[in-house]
Amino acid sequence: MSIVRNAAAIAKGMSVTLKEMFQPTEVENYPDGKGPMRGAKFQERFRGKHQLQRDENGLEKCVACFLCAAACPSNCIYIEAAENTEETRISSAERYAKVYNIDYNRCIFCGYCVEACPTDAITHGHGFELASLNATTLVMRKEDLLVLPSAHKLPDAVQSNKDTAEVLA
Amino acid sequence: MPTLVSHPDEVKVISRRFGQGAADIDRYLELDGYKAVQKAIAEGPDWIINVMKASGLRGRGGAGFPTGLKWSFVPKQSEKPKYVLVNGDESEPGTCKDHVIFLHDPHAIVEGTMIAGLAIGAKMGFIYLRGEYRYLLKIVEKAVADAYAKGFLGKNIFGSGIDFDIVTQSGAGAYEVGEESALMESLEGKRGVPRIKPPFPAVVGLYGGPTVINNAETIASVPHILLMGGEEYAKIGSERNGGTRLFGISGHVERPGVYELPMGYNLKKAIYDVAGGIKDGKKLKAVVPGGSSCPVLLPEEIDVGLDFDQMGKAGTMLGSGGIVVLDETVSIVEFALRTISFYQHESCGWCIPCREGTDWIKKTMTRIYNGGGNKKDAANIQYLAENMMGRTFCPLGDAAAMPTLGFIKKFRKEFEEYIEGNKAGTPIITVQQLVGAH
Amino acid sequence: MADVTFTVDGKQITAPAGTLLIDACKSAGIEIPAFCYYPGLSLQAACRMCVVRIEKMPKLATACTTTVAEGMVVATETPEITQARKATLQLLLGNHPLDCPVCDAGGECELQDMTFKYGAADSFYTEPKNHREEQNWSPVVYFDRPRCILCYRCVRMCGEGMDVFALGIQNRGSSAVIAPNIAPSLSPDNLAHLDCEQCGMCIDACPVGALTSGAYRYKTRPWEMNHVTTVCTHCGDGCKTTLGVRSTSDGAEIVRGDNRDKSGINGDFLCNKGRYAFDFANSQERITTPLVRQPNGDLKPVSWEEAFTVAGKKLRELRDTRGGKSIGVIGGNRLTNEEAYLLQKFARTVLGTNNVDHHRTADYVTFTQALAGQKGRTASWNDTKSYPAVLIVGGDPTNQAPGTAWNLRSDVRLNKARLYVANTSEIKLRRQARAFLQVAPFGYGALAGYLAGDASAASNAALDPTALGGFLEAVKGEEKLLILIGSELRGADLKRLIEFGLTIPGAKFALLSDYANSRGAADMGLLPDMLPGYTPVPTPGPFTEHNIPSEPGLDLLEIFDAAAAGNLSALYVVNSNPVARYGVDPAALKDTFVIVQEMFLTETAQLADIILPAANLYEKSGSVTNSYGDLQLVQKAGDRSGVRSDFEMIVRIADKMGADVKALVPFGKGLRADMGQSRGAQSGEADRHAVWLTANNLEPKLSPFDPWAILDEIQRLVPGYDLLRLQLLSGNDQHLEPAAAAATASRRDLVLPSGDGLFTSGTLGRFSPALNDVQRYQAGEPLIQIQTAAD
Repeated sequence: MSIVRNAAAIAKGMSVTLKEMFQPTEVENYPDGKGPMRGAKFQERFRGKHQLQRDENGLEKCVACFLCAAACPSNCIYIEAAENTEETRISSAERYAKVYNIDYNRCIFCGYCVEACPTDAITHGHGFELASLNATTLVMRKEDLLVLPSAHKLPDAVQSNKDTAEVLA
Repeated sequence: MPTLVSHPDEVKVISRRFGQGAADIDRYLELDGYKAVQKAIAEGPDWIINVMKASGLRGRGGAGFPTGLKWSFVPKQSEKPKYVLVNGDESEPGTCKDHVIFLHDPHAIVEGTMIAGLAIGAKMGFIYLRGEYRYLLKIVEKAVADAYAKGFLGKNIFGSGIDFDIVTQSGAGAYEVGEESALMESLEGKRGVPRIKPPFPAVVGLYGGPTVINNAETIASVPHILLMGGEEYAKIGSERNGGTRLFGISGHVERPGVYELPMGYNLKKAIYDVAGGIKDGKKLKAVVPGGSSCPVLLPEEIDVGLDFDQMGKAGTMLGSGGIVVLDETVSIVEFALRTISFYQHESCGWCIPCREGTDWIKKTMTRIYNGGGNKKDAANIQYLAENMMGRTFCPLGDAAAMPTLGFIKKFRKEFEEYIEGNKAGTPIITVQQLVGAH
Repeated sequence: MADVTFTVDGKQITAPAGTLLIDACKSAGIEIPAFCYYPGLSLQAACRMCVVRIEKMPKLATACTTTVAEGMVVATETPEITQARKATLQLLLGNHPLDCPVCDAGGECELQDMTFKYGAADSFYTEPKNHREEQNWSPVVYFDRPRCILCYRCVRMCGEGMDVFALGIQNRGSSAVIAPNIAPSLSPDNLAHLDCEQCGMCIDACPVGALTSGAYRYKTRPWEMNHVTTVCTHCGDGCKTTLGVRSTSDGAEIVRGDNRDKSGINGDFLCNKGRYAFDFANSQERITTPLVRQPNGDLKPVSWEEAFTVAGKKLRELRDTRGGKSIGVIGGNRLTNEEAYLLQKFARTVLGTNNVDHHRTADYVTFTQALAGQKGRTASWNDTKSYPAVLIVGGDPTNQAPGTAWNLRSDVRLNKARLYVANTSEIKLRRQARAFLQVAPFGYGALAGYLAGDASAASNAALDPTALGGFLEAVKGEEKLLILIGSELRGADLKRLIEFGLTIPGAKFALLSDYANSRGAADMGLLPDMLPGYTPVPTPGPFTEHNIPSEPGLDLLEIFDAAAAGNLSALYVVNSNPVARYGVDPAALKDTFVIVQEMFLTETAQLADIILPAANLYEKSGSVTNSYGDLQLVQKAGDRSGVRSDFEMIVRIADKMGADVKALVPFGKGLRADMGQSRGAQSGEADRHAVWLTANNLEPKLSPFDPWAILDEIQRLVPGYDLLRLQLLSGNDQHLEPAAAAATASRRDLVLPSGDGLFTSGTLGRFSPALNDVQRYQAGEPLIQIQTAAD
């Protein structure tokens, strides 16, 4: 009896395999796919490289409150604050981030920084091609993270195939 | 000089000399003036206090504390000088009783102050008038000067070997200073904010000395009580509420004015009989019975005796005796807004619940009145007022919260009409006043 | 007073009668929130946060104004009370801006904490908040008006605590606002400003972020800094201060000075200098490489190795050829005790000279000698907080030792202490004094004589000699008297005053000096005739083991005289600027080899052959002793690449001279086991094992640069320095009484007061941008009359 039972089990298992053979492939063809995304697809909620946002006046939203740095479990955010003056206004509040670095050697993309941000200044973009042969290039500065002023506002990365690869990296 | 009113039900004790030119010292002397103080000198402090206790006189400022008892709290021996203070900072909206005393019978205040001084062993008295009563200050100053000229004040009064001086002082225009300890601060030249109690003024008062502070009406009653006797005076009023009281009846009545009625007199009778009823035959809508800080009474609630205890039972207060009668044409929302605007303006800013609470109630009510109210506003106003009650440093917070609660509870429907119908009243407060007031 | 027992939240509590309920609860571990209550200041009862339910009371009562009574039953957290507090917070937040992410107080804000606790998150209002512009009251005090919750702590702190009364209240009701004493209409720039002592106590007292510090504002956030508790480097009071430090590319920058936990000897207090004048450490003008003078006269940056080699070789050569007695050593007043001790030991044992001195700002030698043989007669700074009667002769604590002035004011205010002031000028403390005696010009000696019983001195002692009798009687009538002596009294005058004081059985003494470790420099023997602990050079006692030359050396002025005469081969100056201080002719040093350890290119450093960039007191560890003889721990807070501690430099020079470093710094002793095995090296926990070892003097000092090795020796050899390690390491102060031998022959009076006021601090002050700003502000604002405003 046991032989029959074993054979039945094998047949059942193999039937699944057989069925799958005729299904279309679900494998993503990254990086050999078409278009600027090169075959990569992901959900809108995907947490990629951070973006520092600007407000409607083009001023930086970040007020250097350090809450993202405080929330960060891997301690990868480094900020130096400075005070806005009448002559140079960087953010809309009294303080702005003079230095804002994220060390992507350490970042675990947990999103706590985004949750902590009281001004919605830091968000996760969809940039994911962060690999590098040189670890020092993974420490990104504010200039690398800040979105361009609204006149040059770029479409959200995943929405369209027209996105350029630069947007992501 | 406003015309005096009278009614047969009045019992004239304090107002006995009104309208007879008693501001003149010679005329005052003809009308038994300065006899009480001489009697007081002859009989001594203990006798004075006993008469006062027997009279059942309760403070006419609004709190109703027995005067004789208050005087007896002052320590006999004191390192620091003792003082008598007359609180003439009559600022409660709807109240105008001290005004007529200062106008018609200033010497009664001077004499009363002297008697109070004799009772507690003070050598100095202060008469403090509200800033807006500057024109009355001249009358009082003249009365004091005349008393000095006659030798009634100063060294060795009436040959008794006792010295007594009186100083008059005008306030700078703050309702808050009507609170006794704030008045002392103001008198000392400081910002008029109340002090922490205890210690009470009878122990540590003006300039740190034991101080008796009484309402002007209380003080003006004293000479009359000494002359007629405590028991006689007590008989006039109701139980535990001796004597008479000046009631200022104002608003929509036929004969508004200040009437001296015995304590316990029926409020309904006072409005419909004494003051001649509602003006132009309109319907009564509400009565604010004792100055603006007292919770409002509905027409069906006014069959009540005008004394401290009966009014307390009716859920309101006798307060300062300023009865404001409102007829059916009055918008309660507007009246409530006017009331809270007064308290918002007069809040001294010392403690949080009053400073912020009055401001936010006023802002919310203004919005309701101007037609921008939302559904939660009435509940919010009630919440704010309930959380001000009993939480503030001095009674001003309560004085603002109590009438507000009264209006919002008894006239909730009217507020909701404004909110739901977005009914706007005549704009009395502009947006600029509301937003850009600072 | 007798104790009473009452119940709070079902817990039996006993406290002395008359204690405020809020304090009694706090002592029992029950915290009652309050914004306006501040211990030691007058009661306000304005914030209504401390409301509690007391049985048999009709309304909620404020715990800050209620004194405890026998049998009282109190509830501090019931739904009713929580609701009351929540409503109060809701009212406050109605107008309070929600800019916590930007606000400097965010993270250490009492309003934030309370909102978090009571959850007043809902807003009922649609009206805009009241807004007012921020005001810049002075270079160091900013006032963000909408954030103010009107607790009046600043007003009371300024008036009652500081006796300045620069803050008041304007308007009433919801328009009420705190305002400074120079109204916009009176100021040239039409803005409100402050005329005050710029102490910043108002900022410290502010429970929210309404008052912010010009030095710190918008720089960082409280949790981003490391907080290092150390001793202020400015005056002789030795306040404990907490420095907020953040790392930078070239070290660790100090961004804030404040009195964070108020646990120090200074209690609540910190002055303008302690709070803002840490920034000299960040100055761009600091020297950060060793400089050696070239034959052509230029200073050339060199490596540390080269600088030490040149210095060591040259010193050795000069010692061996011209003798140790041709070398002079001048130490500073801001060295740690360990460095001062090491410096004199280096001079006496390596260089072989007693030509050691420092800039003296008070005559501690006479002071200790006059008290020789007495026990418990020197006052701790703590005594100024509580002594029932205080006599100040000379000095001006308000300007020179602000912490002492604060303590005396508090003592008068809170304990009804009787203060007697005798001074040539009308110093501000006379306002608290029961009696003020105006001493005649140069009359302190005569006054000391008069007090000691010489009636003939009366005419020279006081401007009004008739006032003397009453003053003397009042002072003599005190049973417990604290006698604070200014640096004006020296030598025989000082001795006579102390002799008079000793006739009062309960009298204690303190001599006020000017710098953070003036007392320590004297205690540690930076003197030509005194070894550490005021041990006379001819009778070295415990120091016999060091083989010290038996002849007293040259004092500071004699050193420069010798240089002018060509008899000084080398001069070693550590953290001192005698050339400017004593007006030395630069030409006097032309034939002398000069080594200077300094932060800045001072007048003395400019003449040096070798300049070694030095760390300041905020950048090293050790201990210092304040004017009163209270020892406290100094911890390293800031750091600057390119500078080294004086301790390290002295050791390196000695090494390069070929001296036995192990004899100079007895390192390598103690326990040699347990190397890191039980330490929390990985976990980052406090290394309790190491703390215990260090406290018990068992820590292996493995490096010759470890100040603790020298502290061991100080503890072992210096009379009176029998300190408790655990006290020191816990950050507590401890009072020391160096026991001097009886008086030696009369000595030259070399005391030169620093002349620093509220806004100056010697060399450090010159390089502190904050102090310079304040000075400019005080000079530029035409309405500022600190004398009259403060008087």
